[in-house]
Parts: sequence; structure tokens; C-alpha cells
Amino acid sequence: MSVARGVAPLAAALIALALARAARGQTPGAAFDHARHRRVVPTCATCHAGAAQPDASLWPDPASCAVCHDGAIRRRLAWQPPAAARRSNLRFTHARHAAAATRRAARDTTQRPSSCLDCHTDLGAPAVVRRAAVGRCLSCHGVQVRHLSAPDSACATCHLSLAEARALTREDVARFPAPDRHKEAGFLARGGHGAAAGPAAASCATCHSRDFCLGCHVDAPEQPAIQALPSDPRSLAIAVRLAAPPSHAQPSFATRHGGAVGRDAGACATCHTRESCVACHTTPPRVAAHLASGGPGRSAGAVVSRHPPPSHVGGFADRHAGQASAAAGSCAGCHARADCLACHRPQGGRGAGYHPAGFLARHPAAAYSREISCSDCHNTAGFCAACHATAGLTARRALGSGYHDATPFFIAGHGAAARRSLETCVGCHAERDCLACHSALGGRRFNPHGPGFDAERLKRRNPEVCTACHGTSIP
Amino acid sequence: MPASCGPSFVRRFVLLVALLGAVAPARLAAQGYHLRLDTRAQAVSYRGVALDSVPARDTVSGPGGGPATTDGFAVRCAGAEYCTFFRPGPVLRGGPLVTDADLTVWGLGVAGLSLHASGRAGYQIGDAGAWPGLGPALQLLEAYADYSTPRWTARLGRQSMASRLGWSGFDGARLTLRNPASGLALGAYGGWGLARGVALPVTSPALNPLDDFQPRQRQRVIGVVAGWAARRFDVSAIYHREVDPRSDYFVSERAGADLTLRPARGWALTGGADYDFALGLWGSAEASLGYAAPGGRAAAMIAARRYRPHFDLWTIWGAFSPVPYREVSASLAVAPVPKLRLRASGERYRFDAADAATPLVASVDHGWRAELAATWTPSGAWTLDYGYHAAFGAGASTRGFEAAARYAPAPRLALAVQAATLDRPLEFRYDESVVRLLGADLEYRPTERLAVTVGAARYAEDRRRPDVAALDWNQTQLHARAVLLLGRGADLRGLPPAVRRMPGGGGER
Repeated sequence: MSVARGVAPLAAALIALALARAARGQTPGAAFDHARHRRVVPTCATCHAGAAQPDASLWPDPASCAVCHDGAIRRRLAWQPPAAARRSNLRFTHARHAAAATRRAARDTTQRPSSCLDCHTDLGAPAVVRRAAVGRCLSCHGVQVRHLSAPDSACATCHLSLAEARALTREDVARFPAPDRHKEAGFLARGGHGAAAGPAAASCATCHSRDFCLGCHVDAPEQPAIQALPSDPRSLAIAVRLAAPPSHAQPSFATRHGGAVGRDAGACATCHTRESCVACHTTPPRVAAHLASGGPGRSAGAVVSRHPPPSHVGGFADRHAGQASAAAGSCAGCHARADCLACHRPQGGRGAGYHPAGFLARHPAAAYSREISCSDCHNTAGFCAACHATAGLTARRALGSGYHDATPFFIAGHGAAARRSLETCVGCHAERDCLACHSALGGRRFNPHGPGFDAERLKRRNPEVCTACHGTSIP
Repeated sequence: MPASCGPSFVRRFVLLVALLGAVAPARLAAQGYHLRLDTRAQAVSYRGVALDSVPARDTVSGPGGGPATTDGFAVRCAGAEYCTFFRPGPVLRGGPLVTDADLTVWGLGVAGLSLHASGRAGYQIGDAGAWPGLGPALQLLEAYADYSTPRWTARLGRQSMASRLGWSGFDGARLTLRNPASGLALGAYGGWGLARGVALPVTSPALNPLDDFQPRQRQRVIGVVAGWAARRFDVSAIYHREVDPRSDYFVSERAGADLTLRPARGWALTGGADYDFALGLWGSAEASLGYAAPGGRAAAMIAARRYRPHFDLWTIWGAFSPVPYREVSASLAVAPVPKLRLRASGERYRFDAADAATPLVASVDHGWRAELAATWTPSGAWTLDYGYHAAFGAGASTRGFEAAARYAPAPRLALAVQAATLDRPLEFRYDESVVRLLGADLEYRPTERLAVTVGAARYAEDRRRPDVAALDWNQTQLHARAVLLLGRGADLRGLPPAVRRMPGGGGER
């Protein structure tokens, strides 16, 4: 009986609310003149049966409206109740709420039984029935601040966790308002949301799930508060951006962060994986062992940006050989072996890579003057000569085939050009082209040896080279 | 069967696998692996030239005063009965399709033991040989077992090595001893050598397009390396020799040293030189001083360089006495505002005296190169590059503009377009021409483990030649690429973005 006593006023208020909507525009939320219909509808539950019976609809039955609104007594209404329940993450049900209110009234005789109007009217205007105001919820539950300023521990009182609120869509989640606390300075810092998340994890779960935390936390597997949260991809609808702490903006941070890391590596472990260290450090520092290695279940964390070493100024790729051979280990701190092979063993099917786009068009100039050493990556015979041969740039005998056609009598003066860029010559010419004139065994017997040639030394090292031109009669 | 996969190699590979099987306990369940597959395909078409001849008596005086064919091709007669010239060749169409596979396996039950293999499969669609570097169809770039402890590393199999003397490869073993406390390291290696600039033995038919002095056996390689890495400096030295096993004569014998000094924060002084014992000549050498301001707002470098080509002694080219050139260069990069970076560089070089009489041909013995460039990143999504480069020198000259724009509306998606114009007058030839390039690339990374790139480029050439041999070199290229990462490990995410931005730092990964 006590339950019925508590529900009756509530139902009366609700029915008044629904009728008021129907009268104004027949759409939920539109005003319905509950006061006017109060004379024909004795209780709220008359129209809002769902407020008293959990398995009944909260909306009025249009047929009951048609008793009067039949076109004769009153004009007909086209109003129909919504087909689906409103998507919500409220923990509230009328029946349970009314029962709790009744129990409370039974315990405390100073409290009067709750009525529908307690929640569905504004203070001072009891006749205007409206949707329950959140302020009324807060005041009854002892929260004396406005909704979004409520304590972290209060959210779960009225709200389901995100995982429980299955009806909500990603768009609904994206529209969640942020509590005021989230905007406070230092909320993202270590003592901010992290400290609050422990005792108020249930409140965090109202809007967030583990997926949301993984957006920043690389130490998620080590954080009990994060692991306690269920997984729900809808939480990713709330955008979050990992921001560097103010200390990271200091000009000297890059060179002096080691001290801070040494004092408290755990502070770094929230945002940084072990890969953050090796992105810059040639040899991983000891503190790297305190950081987790990136992988599934963790955020990628902060992406460390570094400045290239002093040696890596413009064009370093052309001149890195010296440093790479002086300390190959230092390269390995940042570069994988596949990076080396990508250029030093170039594949025929690749487009622009080490060379800029369009280099093919200007490679003659770069190759002739050996802007870089082509043979470090390209085999002269297998790459240069093979391609030139396919394109028709192959000498079939001595000079004079017509290719060097801008300079009359080029053959008579090619020696200087040949000595300056012999690697270019052999891109089209084979030894036999030159031996036609430069062999001691026949032809014109022109001596090809130039400045600094040490015949005796070469003869000692490999006399077979000498026999190519001199036969067995090496001088 | 390609030479790189010949019977001797197969025998050694089987031996290696057997050895690994012996040393690795059967705890393969703990294995970790990392496999990277990189497939690229291109469609290219271009036109070459074809050698032709005409009786000397049938030539006429051409527009330059020299002999020409009656239909306008300049010819070279050189006193012979027949004169030769180049006609436009047929249009060649090719479709190189290449797949690279990089495999690393660890967790074999022995701490410090890992296996590494890098292979390549290439296939030519269309005209045979239309694109270089595809043969043989299967290539083994590297395949070695690596055992590392803090004090020593042993490596066995096909491997490549970066040193002062270049990037060289061999099938064999390498042992490196080191003292981590002092930074000292000493290593030795030996085996059967690979040819320069390619992962093929010198006996491979793929390296002999002109069919001349190709060795019949692979050279034996042996070398010693020493290094010292400290906080303020790195120094290393190498001695490397290659011997022809058939005759026991040297194919190559060289030594070199490199030094890097870091005297103060931001400063680096590097230098190195090598010496060719076989010819008794100094080879290449260089020295540079670089400075990078904290925060990357400015960087500058001055350098000097000497370059002399090296030829193995199984060719006769070393006996033709190639002369070196000496070069000085400087570069400067500044970021006057955070989103703008300006770069400038210049080089000037001069060849040593060639001591070759040129009574009838005058050719320059010096040259220079310069480049100006700017990179503007108005937002995180946009990157705009613009540059001008010019090179003048012996043999060929170029000058041109380059522009590129990259738009990345999402972290996994980027569109890039580039355009360039190039003038390239060539010495010794009637070949002054203008080339224009227009290209575009689309990069998409649907997952962390898959990256796809498609693109196209068009080269259009206007050859300014006084005779009718002004054939164009127009070219169209289409390309596509897919990179797939398989396996375990955090490194499957790829290199950090900061590393990818570094020069030559694997930007395509």
C-alpha cells in the first residue's frame, strides 16, 4: 500500500506532463497543458502507466486521448508515442526510484512521501509539469553544486557506465559534456586525473572505457584503474590528444632530461615506451629498462622527435660513408639494416628513393663528375652498361661511332676526358674498344699509362693485367 | 640456376643450416620473427638509339659544317669508308616487378643468436632488358647467422659490410671483439667476395653485358678492422685484400682510415683517406667540419674532398691512370621561422692534370655545383618544397627547378605531386635538351603493417639539336608499391617519424 501511495502522485504528475505535450504539438518535449487536463485525468498514472508498472509504456495510449478527441467532442489528434525508448545512460527507473523514496519516508517520518510533482515541476510553479530537472536530482541526492561540477564520486549515482549503456551511439558519446574538473590546470598531470581515477573509477566509467585510456597511456597494463575499466570502442568518440608536460618545452630539456629520468623514471613511463629512448640514444640508457616496450594493449605513446646529429646537415646522405665506417654502431641506434640495403643494394623496380625524382634525366652530369661514388651502390657493368646497352649506347669497336659528335676529332683528344672520368667511359665501352689503339701487341700502340703509374708495382701485384696489352713480353 | 644460387652456395647454405641446428636447442616455440615484404612494380616506356652507318661518299655537309646523311643525321667518319651515326631506336616498354623479403629470426634457444636473410625476386614484363638491375631472377642479398655477446660478435654466411672502402659483400665469416668499457673493437673477416655494388659474384653473367675481362672464379677476401669509439671521437681503420684463387695474384689491396671528432656540442669534424697498395696511389679522401645549432635552427658545413675511382685488377682500367679531382664545398641550412627551412650548398672541383695531349679537343678540367632550396610546412598536413640546382663541369652540365607538394590529410594518407624542369647541355655531344617532369604519388597505410604507394611520372624532352637526330627521350613511368610487415615485436610499427625524416633515413618505410 505504501508503494501505491507513493506512486499515485508521481503518476498523476507524469500524466499531466504527457498530456501537456500532446496538447501543444504532439511531440515529446513540446508543452502539454497538464493543468487543463487535470480535471479529466485524475492521476498521472492514468496516462503514464509505465511510471507505476515497469512493463507498461510511459507514454499515453492515443486511444485514451481519442475518448475525448474524437472529432466530435474535441478535434482529433494525430499524436503517436515514440516508437523506441529514449537513448539514455540514466540509472533511473520510476518504480525503483519510487520504492526507494517510499522506504526512505518510512524510515524518516519527517519526510513526506515523494510525488511526481517533486521532480517534474519547477519550484514555485507546481502546476507546470515538465521533464525532470537534473537540479532536482542533485538536490535530493545531496549534491549542492551544479551538474558538471559534481564530485568525481557522484556520477555513478545516477549514470550507468558506458559499457552498460548499450543504447548510446558513438555520436551520443561524442556529445557528452566534460565535467568542470577536467578543465582544471594539472588535471592531465600525474596527480590529476590519475589520483582521482582510483577512488572514482566507477565515475570515470560513465564516459570512458579502457580504449580511451589506451590513447595516451603506454603503461595501461600496469595501471589497475585502467585495467578495471571495461573495453568499449565507443569511448574513442571523445577525442583526446596527448600533450607534452610544460617541462618538455624548456629549451634545454632535450639535453638535460636525463637527470629527471634518473630521479623518477616512472613519471616517463606513462607516455614513453622504451622506443622513445632508442629513437635518439645510440645505446639504450639504463633507465630504458624501466619503460615498457611498445606493443598490443599499450598506446604508441609520445612520439619522440629528435634533431639529426650535427653531422647530418644538408647532403649528408651523400657523405655519410666516413662516419658510418668510423662508428657503424652509432648509425644502428636509429637506422635499421634494411635502410642501408635500400640504397646500397637498390632494386630495379624502385622509383625515386635515394636520388630525387627526375634524377634519371640529370644523371649524366652527376655521373661524369662523380658527384658521388656511383659504384658504392651500382655495379658499373650490371647496372650502367646494361642499361646503356639496352638504350643503344654501346660501343662496338674503337671511338668513332658517332656518339661524341659535338666535338670534331674527339678521338684525337679523348685522353684527358677519359682519365678524368674513366668510370663514365666504361659505362659504354669495354676493354677491347680501347685496346684497338692502346695495346702494345698491335694497332697504334698508344701508351695509356699516365702520371703516377708504377709499372713495377703493378707487375708484382698482378702481372696478368700487364699481359692483356703486353702479352708475355712484359717490359 | 643463377650464379648467386649456384651449387657451391647451396652447399654452404646447407652447412650453415646444419650448424645452426646443432647449436640451437629445440626450443623453437620461443622463436620470434620479423618478415618484411616489399613489392614494387613499374611500367616504363622510352626510346633509345640505334647505331647506323652510311658510305662516306653519300654524306653531305650538315648544319654544323660537319658531314651528315642526306636525311640530316650528323655522322662521324674519322677517315673510314663508312660513317656512323645514331638513329632513333625502337620504343621499349618494360614492367619491372621486384619483391624484396627481409627476415629476422630470434629466440632460438641461445641468447644472442639470430638469423637474418634478405632476398630479392625480380621479373621483367615486356621487352627483355628494358630496365636494369633485374637479373638474375633470384638474388640473395644477405643470409647470415649472428651470435652476439657484449664482448664479441660472430657472423657467418652472406653478409655485407660498410667500411671506408665502400659497401662490400662476401660469403664467409666475421668475428669482432670489443671492450665495452673502453670502446675498443677489433675484427677480422674472410670468405669469397661479391662484386662491387651488387650482391652477385663477379662470375655472374648478369655482370658481363659487354663480354670482356670477366674472372672465372670468385676472389678470396680477407680483412682486418679496428675501431675506437669514445665520447669525443670515433676512429676506425681497415685493411682489405682480394686475391684471385686461380693465380694467387691480387685483385685488390687497400687500406683506409676514418676519424670523427666531436670537440664541442654541435660541432663535428670528420675525415678519412684510403690507399691503394696495388697501384701505390692514394685513393679518395675527405674532411669536413659541421655545426648544428641546438634546436635545429641552423646547420652549416664546410668540406674538402678528393675522389679517385678504384678499379679491380681483373680489369685493365687502373693502368689507364684515372686522375682524381679535388673539391671544396659548403652548405648552410637555417630555419628563420619555425615553419620555413632554407638550404643552400655549393661545390667547386678541379681535376688533377691528366697529362694527355689534346691538340684538337678542348675540354674543361673543372666544374661547380650549387643548390638553393626551401621547405615550408604551413600546417601539419602540408609540406611544400622548392629548389633550384645548377651544375657545370666537364662532360655535362645541368640546371633546373624542382617543386613538390605533399598533403597528408590523415596520418595514414598522403598525396604528393612534383614537377621539375631541367636544361642539360652535354659536352662532347650535340645533345642540349630541356626535360620537364610531372609526377604524383599517393601513399596509404591502412594498417601499421601495410603500406601502399601508387604513382606516375611523365618526362617530356625537347632536344635542341641542329640535325634531325633530335629524337626525344620522352618517358612515362607508372609505379606501385606494397610493404607488408609480419611477425612480432614493437618495431613492426616502423621507425619513429623523426628517424624517417632524417636524410636517407628510410623515408619509404
